[in-house]
Amino acid sequence: MNEKHKQKLALFYCERTPKSSEQDKQSLEQKYGKSIRLFPIPCGGRIEPLQILRALEEFADAAYIIACPKGKCRYFEGNLRAKKRVQRAQEIIKSIGLEGERLGIVMNEHAKSLARQAEEIMRSISHLCPSPVLSPHR
Amino acid sequence: MRKMSQLKRILDKGDLAVTAECGPPKGADPEAIFKKAELLRGKVDAINVTDNQTATVRMSSLAACGLLISAGLDPVLQVVVRDRNRIALQSDILGASAMGIRNVLCLSGDHQSFGNQPQTMGVFDLDSIQLIQVVKTMRDEGTIWGGEPLTKSPELFIGAVANPFADPLEFRPVRLAKKIRAGADFIQTQCVYNLDRFEEWMNMARERGLTEQVNILAGVTPLKSSGMARYMKNNVSGIDIPDKFIKRMEEIPKNRQRETGINICVDTIQRLKEIQGIRGFHIMAIEWEEAVGEIVERAGLLPRPSFDQD
Amino acid sequence: MITAEQKPIDEIREMIAPYKRILALGCGSCVAECAAGGEKETAMLASTLRMAAKIDGRDILIHEKTVDRQCVKDFILPLDDIIDQYDAVLSLGCGAGVQAVAEMFPAAPIIPALNTEFIGETRDQGYWVENCVGCGDCMLYDFGGICPLTRCSKHLLNGPCGGSRDGKCEVDPEVPCAWQLIIERLSKFNALDRLENIYQPKDWSMKQGLGPRNIIREDQQR
Repeated sequence: MNEKHKQKLALFYCERTPKSSEQDKQSLEQKYGKSIRLFPIPCGGRIEPLQILRALEEFADAAYIIACPKGKCRYFEGNLRAKKRVQRAQEIIKSIGLEGERLGIVMNEHAKSLARQAEEIMRSISHLCPSPVLSPHR
Repeated sequence: MRKMSQLKRILDKGDLAVTAECGPPKGADPEAIFKKAELLRGKVDAINVTDNQTATVRMSSLAACGLLISAGLDPVLQVVVRDRNRIALQSDILGASAMGIRNVLCLSGDHQSFGNQPQTMGVFDLDSIQLIQVVKTMRDEGTIWGGEPLTKSPELFIGAVANPFADPLEFRPVRLAKKIRAGADFIQTQCVYNLDRFEEWMNMARERGLTEQVNILAGVTPLKSSGMARYMKNNVSGIDIPDKFIKRMEEIPKNRQRETGINICVDTIQRLKEIQGIRGFHIMAIEWEEAVGEIVERAGLLPRPSFDQD
Repeated sequence: MITAEQKPIDEIREMIAPYKRILALGCGSCVAECAAGGEKETAMLASTLRMAAKIDGRDILIHEKTVDRQCVKDFILPLDDIIDQYDAVLSLGCGAGVQAVAEMFPAAPIIPALNTEFIGETRDQGYWVENCVGCGDCMLYDFGGICPLTRCSKHLLNGPCGGSRDGKCEVDPEVPCAWQLIIERLSKFNALDRLENIYQPKDWSMKQGLGPRNIIREDQQR
């Protein structure tokens, strides 16, 4: 394979993530093209494990959530619940042989901007090989 | 065929009775029982045979009791309700009596998860109190549970256990009263180390008049080692060993721990003799049956009365 | 409610292996309440199985559908319209639901995705605990609303046994001794003397029945 595989990341982010306006979203989409699909959500806690599983099933090599740090969730515990749900989803994908790191959650401790988080997450998943769900080995 | 339980005879006379425990082997060899029996012959009035204790598969209590009968000894058949339904239990009661067994001890039994067959179904069709009632009905009314007449009633001296060290303490005398009302003739208690708590329980029992209605035999177990003492304290529910005994055992060098264990046991018996309402002692020297003879002798309980076989 | 848990995924994969067109059928009642077989869980399981199949390079079609209650004939009848499209049904109902569907559609192989466990309550979020064994002869009044058959490990009616320690059962220090609870509860009602009563051997024939138990009510029939 000549071309280095481009990771496809599904990124769900809490609306309160710094610098995550519609404009910011669009410029990120321009920058990364097909490599990233962005989904703003009212709260990290609104994510169901089903959504991140479906992302992996349909188009993503990895699916991540950006939630607010402990104590900062405007819905009080949404961020903590999100963490538990991601853990559950990780158990599920590991049970069918996928790496747990294809899913993750970032509790935005240092209030990094959406762009910064996106960059860091993309780097952290760069070592993953193409998802066998999307391109099974023949 | 033996006419009356030795244990009953002695208790009826008002003398102190002594019983000990004997665990059947994890195999089919009768010699294991006979060997233990010889260690106890003449030292005790009756020998309890445990029933798959700790939910561990061993030779059946009924069979082992039969072997003891053939050796001329007086067994106490221990029956747990964990493994058999009411058909099997009543059937075993009839068989026991037919073989000349004259004492039965009715127990719940350790939960099946404790033993080497944890996947089995725990039966518990009857509980221990209901079993006492059933045996009494068979013996005194000559019927099985439900009223159908027996062709011959079993002759059995009925026993139950009491644990003064289990929770909740205030309720224990109520349970004791229930067992007596159900038909218990004698009680063997869990082994005593904590004499204060035991006296407290005896006081409550005496207040309710229970010590006059049933023969209470206090249980004792000699400690073999400090390790055993600590294990029992931490792992076996319903056993209360005050720290002072653990300390005492730990301070003695290993080769003298057995001697100390026996000393503590003999002391305990002497103190128990002073408690009003105690009618005897049940010595549970687990896998240490040789110790029973020494304990009984030093506690001034020898010789044991003998009766001619009827 | 009846509680259940999803079977290990490998076991489910093995059972569905011979089939190519599967209907994953959820249930909106008890198993939804215990987060094992409701609409969400059905969708998650279906997605997981589709991903697993893709990883294996297998072709498989899994559709999802959830009915209100799988154990009621009238609620599963409408499946008649679609069932022929599939060569197997993966049911996320409890054992009652699985069998009701199997009974209604005997030509369709039916695979249970769950292990049905017990009758119980949602004591807290994410925590379900058994509290009834369906003995057919309820004695809860006698025991202050605490069932000794279910909650005592030896189902004693004249407990506690000698293994009760610090209010916990001998089998597990996390398990409360049911008799300790009963005694405390009855003490609060000043009804502790009720336990001086010797409760008689249970009539287990009301639980075991002669074959599967049933209830027939003519006033309820068409």
